[in-house]
Amino acid sequence: MPPRRTALLLIAGALLVAGLWLLSHRYSAAPIAWSADERRLMASLSIRNLPPLPPDPSNAVADDPAAAALGQALFFDPRPSANGMISCATCHQPIRRFTDGLPRAIALGRAARNTPSIVGTAYSTWYYWDGRRDSQWSQALSPLEDPKEHGSDRQLLFALIRDDDAYRAAYEKLFGPLPAKPDVVDIDRVFTNVGKAIAAYERRLLPGPSRFDDYVTHVTSGGDPAQQSWLSESELRGLRLFLGQARCTECHNGPLFTNHEFHNTGLLPPTGELPDRGRFDGLDAVRRDPFNCLGAFSDDPARRCDELEFVREGIELIGATRTPSLRNLGNTMPYQSKGQFATLAEVLRHYNEAPPSLIGHNEAKPLGLSARELADLEAFLHALDAPIAADAALLAAPRGYGSKPATDSPGGR
Amino acid sequence: MFSAWSRIRRLAVLPLLLVAPPVAAHGGVVAEDDLCVINIGYLRAHFKMFVPAVSGHREYCEDIPVRGETVFVMEYLHDGLSTADIDLRIVRNTTGKGNFARLADIEALPDLEAVTVSHAQAIVSPGVYTALHGFDEDGEYIGIVQAEAAGKHYTAVFPFTVGDTGVGVWPWLLGGIVLLQLNFWYWTRRRRPAATAALFLALSAPAAADTFMVDGDRFRVAATPSIDPLVINDMHSWELVLTDSDGAPVTGANIDLAGGMPAHDHGLPTRPRVTGLEEPGRYRVDGMRFHMPGAWELVLTISLGASRERLVLALVL
Repeated sequence: MPPRRTALLLIAGALLVAGLWLLSHRYSAAPIAWSADERRLMASLSIRNLPPLPPDPSNAVADDPAAAALGQALFFDPRPSANGMISCATCHQPIRRFTDGLPRAIALGRAARNTPSIVGTAYSTWYYWDGRRDSQWSQALSPLEDPKEHGSDRQLLFALIRDDDAYRAAYEKLFGPLPAKPDVVDIDRVFTNVGKAIAAYERRLLPGPSRFDDYVTHVTSGGDPAQQSWLSESELRGLRLFLGQARCTECHNGPLFTNHEFHNTGLLPPTGELPDRGRFDGLDAVRRDPFNCLGAFSDDPARRCDELEFVREGIELIGATRTPSLRNLGNTMPYQSKGQFATLAEVLRHYNEAPPSLIGHNEAKPLGLSARELADLEAFLHALDAPIAADAALLAAPRGYGSKPATDSPGGR
Repeated sequence: MFSAWSRIRRLAVLPLLLVAPPVAAHGGVVAEDDLCVINIGYLRAHFKMFVPAVSGHREYCEDIPVRGETVFVMEYLHDGLSTADIDLRIVRNTTGKGNFARLADIEALPDLEAVTVSHAQAIVSPGVYTALHGFDEDGEYIGIVQAEAAGKHYTAVFPFTVGDTGVGVWPWLLGGIVLLQLNFWYWTRRRRPAATAALFLALSAPAAADTFMVDGDRFRVAATPSIDPLVINDMHSWELVLTDSDGAPVTGANIDLAGGMPAHDHGLPTRPRVTGLEEPGRYRVDGMRFHMPGAWELVLTISLGASRERLVLALVL
């Protein structure tokens, strides 16, 4: 072999080895040394840094256990529906983290958007994908009267509370006697009280600590990052990307992995639908909602409504939807406001590409991550799965309420 | 060839094409600067079409090379459209004028209904207008947009083709140009922070959320958030101490607040404003919240009598 060719071969071999070493170094060495910034960011995401439940001054019974018990019974009761078969739990199924596994909710008809989880929403400032409600209790009201969801109405709800002995007793203990000859305002009062009881129940549904949270506790309490068994190497690489290059924490931040804000991320509408106008229309709706923070049914005498009063408006909101929490994605597929993606891999691919939005503009920027990096990110997201931090008794229809047993399935009878 | 020219001249960004004849005055879809624009009388909108199920996020300005359910989008460049009644009708282009069809040619058609393939009823659609039509057949079509604003009626027509219309190599070439164009738009449409005559930056670490100082030519502001440390996702207030260049408190100034994240093309998540004057020169700002970690700008436009100054406070969360 001529010396020149040998030299070339040697150089090529050396380059190959160096390349392989770099690759293996990049992909297999566990990123165990976290910077101070990364540690700080990690700690800010830990469920153990979740502040105490924020008070809801608009709901006087928010923290009353009796209201929560009544709310739980109502939540699982299919009677407040046009066909007697749809309860809140039809779409918000405890077994699926209070979602339904469908791209868009199906109750009496098909709703416009994907069923979001209820877990941890007591911390939200806005409700629904488009933020068209501003409290947990006012959120609970709209599905009851939506012809595609429960298809009930406030008069029927009034009659249900009046005619069911257990409901009536619980209601009157909490809110005072039911009027014998109710006027429109009385009916609205009972309707909103039903929402407040349901919210008192929903407030108690909070996410529990995941493997990620245990890992953060270990790292931030001075444990050796190398001596741990909570996260795999792939998950650790995913975590590093999550905190940095993948820019996830720009929106998915805080212990619930959401900033509770609205962003346009360039999602395509499903076939047969116009692009979702999102928050642009949701803002209009919440301002007109008679049950909003400024409305007559808030229990807050001070009517302090900073969120509504200082709310952002403008064309930036076109096509923007609410940032969902990333806790418990393993059980809440499909994803996005219209259930556009069946898998997390598809979601991550979308954010990696950040394609232009049909309406408004996509706030995300292309990330340029490799397939391997996306797989690591996906692995990490599953490290956020954990059981709900609530008594098992809260996850099913309660006993001792209602004149007939509640069901959580429309096909149950 | 002529219709090809008419298409190309609309992609006005490429300099060699600037020699093309001037754009027709009435209606149509034209590229201006970096946008595909429709002129409905004096009302203008950014016009685009998508076929999500076939070509995803691919944006078309005039001709749609694929057939399928098409989303028509008009993003208003004129506020008048937000309150206008807008009506979109799609008709088969039987004028025989191809891409040169004008309003007069459409008015000359004997029976508009007979050639209509889609007609979205007039609606008021604030912010952006969208409509949907599934094309079953390739061919030449004309879109007719009518807007009724302030009692006046405006019409724009835009001829376009759907699918493979047998024009040989042109679609590919145009596709290439469109891609280049999209690429160009992509890189040019990123909004840059507005230039300002007096730009003063004060940088501070989030942990030290004490007081931010910013000095201008006429005014000086010491801004203190009500929460320490300054964290995201928490509604809070700020206190602004406004002094003139000699250090004397300034009362009675109008302070307008704006801001956002320059790197993300978005503003503040709330609309904070001055809610009170606590003592001479001390202004209270309510409704402040940041919702992302990273670099933020708070823009204070201070006006007092005839003098006006814009101060920019930069902070990293």
